[in-house]
Amino acid sequence: MAGYFEEMGWRELQEGEQPNHLLHMARFLIDFGMYEDNFSGEWPRLPPPASKEAVQNLPEVTIDSESKNCPICLKSFHSGDKAKEMPCHHQFHPTCILTWLERTNSCPFCRHELPTDHEGYEAFKKEKKRAEQRKEDLDTLHNSMFS
Amino acid sequence: MANIAAKRIKREFKEVMKSEEVAGGAIKLELLDNSWTELQGEIAGPPDTPYEGGTFLLEIKVPETYPFNPPKIRFMTKIWHPNVSSVTGAICLDILKDQWAAALTLRTVLLSIQALLSAAEPNDPQDAVVAKQYKENPTLFALTARHWTHAYAGGPAAIRDFDAKVQRLLDMGVDEHQARVALSTYDWELERATEQLFNREE
Repeated sequence: MAGYFEEMGWRELQEGEQPNHLLHMARFLIDFGMYEDNFSGEWPRLPPPASKEAVQNLPEVTIDSESKNCPICLKSFHSGDKAKEMPCHHQFHPTCILTWLERTNSCPFCRHELPTDHEGYEAFKKEKKRAEQRKEDLDTLHNSMFS
Repeated sequence: MANIAAKRIKREFKEVMKSEEVAGGAIKLELLDNSWTELQGEIAGPPDTPYEGGTFLLEIKVPETYPFNPPKIRFMTKIWHPNVSSVTGAICLDILKDQWAAALTLRTVLLSIQALLSAAEPNDPQDAVVAKQYKENPTLFALTARHWTHAYAGGPAAIRDFDAKVQRLLDMGVDEHQARVALSTYDWELERATEQLFNREE
């Protein structure tokens, strides 16, 4: 059953601990679609920087062609140049992409997101995923009933 | 200006000049000084919109931290559009704010602004008055936008009824642009526009 708590991002109550009733009420309202409009699905500012760990773990690759350029400074790569590769396989000069990821967490080319060290943003992403799942579940239910 | 910004603008400038959009007259880019920090953009009003036939000038300021921060862009040519301030020319477009990405270029930004002219976002307005008219009276909005395109951007289609109303206010000694703003704001009702103009001056 530990999996259930993990999946929901919750934890079991400790000995003698009271549940947070306000939190329960909020979750209840969200789960029953009462607050759909309040969850706009948009992070209101620039998403936070990529996590230090994710940035450190970006693999370094050696460029083997002359035809590509770095999408940030637009300078051509030369054969043998070192480049950092994002999980989406887009390649950049190390200084270019590191400067960008200190500002925000996504690929400048395709917006593929790296994890961040920002608790609030990670919670938002989890909630957004759950909202999408709820919508999908509702659609499935609706289709199975009416088609 | 930081080196990387100037170097990138130079590369972009070459790219734009070679692009098919410039060849086709859809967009233009000009340098205003030698430091590569101020440029002037130009976009053609898209076909099948009230902006068709108009040419719109844009002020482009490149920050020292470009391309890690977006360029600052505003309309110099007056335009009636829900996402552009009819007063300052400020543009409400996500990629110029928190959706900026370093791989975007002046070319793609100009094309995005051009696309915004074809597809307004009235629910994320820059100019609340224009957005309200866009939603509540789309026909009148389109005529007003066409009239502004004719008056300020060299558009081909004059709206005779609107021109006559602007002239009526001019005859009363009102400044032409102020007259146009007041009439546009009050759905071309001459009486309400006049009332608002003369009450404000007292």
